[in-house]
Amino acid sequence: MTRVHALVAKELQDIMRNLGTLIPVVIATLVLLVLPFVIAVVIPSISGQSLGEDADLVKASQVVGLSNTLSTNGRVQLFLFQQFLTLFLLVPITGAMALAAHAVVGEKQARTLEPLLATPLTTFELLVAKVVGALLPTLAISLVGLGLYVAVVAGAAEPGVMAAMLNARTAVLILGVAPTCALVALQFAILISSRVNDARTAQQFGVVIVLPLTGLLVAQFTGAFWLSASMLAALTLVLLGVWLLLAAVSVAVFDREQILTRWR
Amino acid sequence: MIEARGLGRRYGSRLALDGVSFAVSRREIVALLGPNGAGKTTTLRILAGLIAPTTGSVVIDGVELTRSTGSALRSRIGLLTETPGLWDRLTVRENLRTYARLYGLAHPDRVVDSSIDALGLAEHASARAAELSKGLRQKVAFARSLLHDPSVLLLDEPTSGLDPEVTRSVRHMLEERRSNGCAILVSTHNLDEAERLADRVAVLHTRLLAIDRPATLRQRLTTGRIIVRVAGDPAAGFDTARRIDPHASIEGGALILTLKRPEDETPALVRALVSARLDIIEVRSEVPALEDVYLRLMEDRAQS
Repeated sequence: MTRVHALVAKELQDIMRNLGTLIPVVIATLVLLVLPFVIAVVIPSISGQSLGEDADLVKASQVVGLSNTLSTNGRVQLFLFQQFLTLFLLVPITGAMALAAHAVVGEKQARTLEPLLATPLTTFELLVAKVVGALLPTLAISLVGLGLYVAVVAGAAEPGVMAAMLNARTAVLILGVAPTCALVALQFAILISSRVNDARTAQQFGVVIVLPLTGLLVAQFTGAFWLSASMLAALTLVLLGVWLLLAAVSVAVFDREQILTRWR
Repeated sequence: MIEARGLGRRYGSRLALDGVSFAVSRREIVALLGPNGAGKTTTLRILAGLIAPTTGSVVIDGVELTRSTGSALRSRIGLLTETPGLWDRLTVRENLRTYARLYGLAHPDRVVDSSIDALGLAEHASARAAELSKGLRQKVAFARSLLHDPSVLLLDEPTSGLDPEVTRSVRHMLEERRSNGCAILVSTHNLDEAERLADRVAVLHTRLLAIDRPATLRQRLTTGRIIVRVAGDPAAGFDTARRIDPHASIEGGALILTLKRPEDETPALVRALVSARLDIIEVRSEVPALEDVYLRLMEDRAQS
């Protein structure tokens, strides 16, 4: 663990010296912080039309099956804020994938990989450190953003919406789905990063992971289905399994020789 | 101790190494010479456990280097790669500290501090690697390869691009490591450095063409030319010289002979010249420079 810790510390130092790499994550977080309030609060107040008057939104919000104590307008707000919370927690990961995609191929291009591989560091330790090194700053930004999100929901939404959001489902989403989804996405990016010889290629492959995520979110927005707390908990376990599988595959396909002798 | 046993390595259809065997003992420096593409870096990478040989095996300190022993053995090996490979945004101290921790040292900060002092890097310890000159970067990389006090040192062009002063300090450090019991293999293009530094020289060109002490190599590939300077006109001894070597000549005021067996024939030559009442000032055999030996080996290889 000391070796993983040492490499993670180096990754974090490196990122702190090059904060520009976090700009995509910060921008994604800010956009998703502002967007729901524009849709759920600003536009209705400017147009003078409450969300409760939109039949489609009301219908979609009914799948949530949440608090009966809220007004129709409040339920739609709750529906939107819940949906955006999912988006809010997951989309910054796509920004962090740029970090992960650069992880192995970046070391090779900077010619820092060979001395690193000459240490007792195992392939597993190297890959875990690279994933954790990209995950920690992402989670830190997401957590700060989450604090702001909660504060703004509490201040801008109808009374009772915030309280209704504080439930088991939200907890599973924040503590389970978001980190495991990040692990899967970043591990996938690392896997790609160790198989291609150019960081741009790695990033382009990384976009693949965004597609199923987008499909899931669009389906939820249309009200086609609603993932309950228990379903999200099950999803967390599935994602954990996928991550372990991806981690094993990453170690198996990491070819030191090819990286050192074929990449230029 | 390093033992390379019949190392072979192919990259696709290209044969990079073929049956290379040698050993580097404790307290020994061996210089690995060869032209570009001769397989020097491949040899170092195989010995460092970075790539596997297609054939043959490597034994480090009596333990065969395999996938399962690789991680543990790498902690005994210090590798200086062809390029320094420092993390540019990290400082010198941060670079070294990361490696000290990767090697699992008990007191990484203390080791890094003493390494910085030993290599005269204190003034630059807080500078980012990107800000360093090429020589300083090489020095930091050298410090990195020594951090964990390895019993085996593998160095790829350690003084490439360094100024004479830094080159000298690197050479002193290697000599110090050697006296501490380290087995050191240095890949270099610099024949002068090889001659100054190495106990033995290995000449590689896909195959191992020769490995021996520089003096022995020179002797083995000696030209057999004997130069005799006498008092007065050398022409006085010309006939005597011709009786021993029919092709003897006079060049630059000296008699020049080429002897097939200089060890046996030189004493006879001296006796003959003395009998001819010549006063001999100097008799020396022409010693080829290591460069000549190297070039001769390369020529022989090209002809074979």
